[in-house]
Amino acid sequence: MKLGFSAAEEEFRAECADWLQGQMAGEFKDIKGITTLTAKAERRKEWEQQLAAHKWSCIGWPEKWGGRNATLAQQVIFAEEYARAGVPGRVNHIGIELAGPTILAFGTEEQKQRFLPGIAAGQTIFCQGFSEPGAGSDLASVRTKGRLENGEWVVNGQKIWTSLAHISDWIFVVTRTEEGSKGPKGLSFLMMDVKQPGIEIRGIKQINGDAEFNETFFTDARCPEDSMIGAVGQGWQIAMGLLAFERGVSTLGQQMAFRNELDEIIAAAKANGQAKNPLIRQRIAKAEIGLRLMRYGALRMLSNTDHSKIDGAALTYKIQWATWRRGLGELAMDVLGQAGELAHGSEYEWDVLPNLFLFSRSDTIYGGTNQIQRNLIAERGLGMPREPRGDL
Amino acid sequence: MDFRFSDDQLTLAEGVRDYLAGTHGPEVLRRLDEQGNRDPAIWQGLVDMGLTGLCVPEAQGGLGVGLPEAALIAAECGRACLAEPLVDTAFVGVPWLVAQGKLDGLEDVVAGTRRVPVAHAINPWEADGAGAALTSVDPLRNLTAAGQTSDDPHLLNLGALMSAAQLVGLADAMLHQAVEYAKIRTQFGQPVGAFQGLKHQLASCSVAIEFAKPVVWRAAQAMQDRLDSAPVHVSHAKVAASDAAMLTAETAIQVHGAMGYTYEVDLHFWMKRSWALCGAWGDRAYHLKRVDDAVLGGTLPIGPEHTFA
Repeated sequence: MKLGFSAAEEEFRAECADWLQGQMAGEFKDIKGITTLTAKAERRKEWEQQLAAHKWSCIGWPEKWGGRNATLAQQVIFAEEYARAGVPGRVNHIGIELAGPTILAFGTEEQKQRFLPGIAAGQTIFCQGFSEPGAGSDLASVRTKGRLENGEWVVNGQKIWTSLAHISDWIFVVTRTEEGSKGPKGLSFLMMDVKQPGIEIRGIKQINGDAEFNETFFTDARCPEDSMIGAVGQGWQIAMGLLAFERGVSTLGQQMAFRNELDEIIAAAKANGQAKNPLIRQRIAKAEIGLRLMRYGALRMLSNTDHSKIDGAALTYKIQWATWRRGLGELAMDVLGQAGELAHGSEYEWDVLPNLFLFSRSDTIYGGTNQIQRNLIAERGLGMPREPRGDL
Repeated sequence: MDFRFSDDQLTLAEGVRDYLAGTHGPEVLRRLDEQGNRDPAIWQGLVDMGLTGLCVPEAQGGLGVGLPEAALIAAECGRACLAEPLVDTAFVGVPWLVAQGKLDGLEDVVAGTRRVPVAHAINPWEADGAGAALTSVDPLRNLTAAGQTSDDPHLLNLGALMSAAQLVGLADAMLHQAVEYAKIRTQFGQPVGAFQGLKHQLASCSVAIEFAKPVVWRAAQAMQDRLDSAPVHVSHAKVAASDAAMLTAETAIQVHGAMGYTYEVDLHFWMKRSWALCGAWGDRAYHLKRVDDAVLGGTLPIGPEHTFA
């Protein structure tokens, strides 16, 4: 166990901080501090390209594909400095963290050449077509159908909760390619061009006023036969492999953003006198402890170099951070009191902490609800008997 | 930066775990409770394993290992519900003496003939000290009122750290017992562990335990490195480990149903030790206040100009 950073790593940190802070003070000053995922989308696509131009877009990828082959420590450092500099979230998070690693792990050489350079360059924005109106927690009950016709996959059906589909170029879609199959069997994983007549995107307005996710309708949407990752019928396996990447390094940048949020709450409590209230003080201390739990939990999880093996600790990660952050939103509102219910911007616009309160309601739902997480922890982590399921 | 234990460290911990699993099972706890709670053979076994000398410098005949290893072993002592004063003497007392340069006579600790009773103003009771043992909720511990107490914060931090380490081991053991019971106890025609109402509670215990562990290891390393922030890391660890252990204790009893309230089920030995250690070396309120003071009192470096270590 070695918990400090080496001199070389500290040097790397300085390099990251220097470049990121320079960008946020200079050319990309206008996007600094944005907390929603949708604001200034076009500028943020340019930011993706700026990252790529300086080889910062996918540092964990192999050099051959535009990355830096960065070590875990370097990825941690970059993610931390990224958040610390107040850089807004990546609009191509799904391309860089999910699609790319999935193609690297399961794609053919030709598919790597077709997709990876565009993702690395910030030119190809990806979104994820998993959930459906009838396939939420029970993801395997996907009904969107794909059939092969004249060398093309033809897809019909509907996806939902498709984050950033409206600004995306490509979507990966879990489709049922075996007529009459049920559950995880008979599914396949397709890469499709979003900008085609057969795909229609409709925004879904959220409780915080933002519209980050969408309904995505497929009506005879098409892609070439060789746009499938893995073999026909392997879609579930690929999708599960992809979800394992979701527990990866991105969590560390997320934590630095959480650090910023907690610091903002502490500053607000000091400013309005709530920092003298013993009940508030105790909750802030607990929030600090919770943040440290996540911090060291994530570092331990990521230090396990064999990411194919999901151990008990990795299974517990999502529910921990989601529950913690939902509580953080509540703490923020209790610190602000009634003032937290009033917007202070010149236009109707949520301030950071009220937005945190509303947005964090979704943390315990998306990506597997807390209830689904507990099932996974109990059944896979603790080896408890599966709960009875109805007929598929 | 690497947050893993080395193979050597893990091998050491596994060796202790296997040894205790083989020699110190629930039947031993019952025998100790019913026939007198100290058995010289148990202590001698620990001495023969080299555990009393774990933190004693090599020049004094010990193994000279650091606090992270000691914390790993303390967790194993918790898992086995070991009541001998090994953790107090060898993982709290010895590192405290070494930190002060008091190396005389540590050979006797290695040999098992000297114990190092430690007491602090916050924790004025000694494990297996001189005089008659006080009656404790934990029937296997022998606490005595200390004649003299120290107010050295380093001692308090060592005691709190090693209590936290024992607590995560205790919690692991209680969760294991509850999970195994939920697999075999059937009601309504199926194992009770298949019901979400029960499995979700055990999943929550697993979350609390898995997240407490790295904080404990982090605190051990911070103490080893003598970081300025080490006391706050220790308080994080003590609160997180106490919360995990108490949640698991109450859940494990609930999972066992009425049997969980009986002496016949082994669980209560672990539950009582957890309760005792949660209050030892600064209780939850004490450590929460230390975190509170650090965060809001400005002694912990937070804010945009800092990374968090």
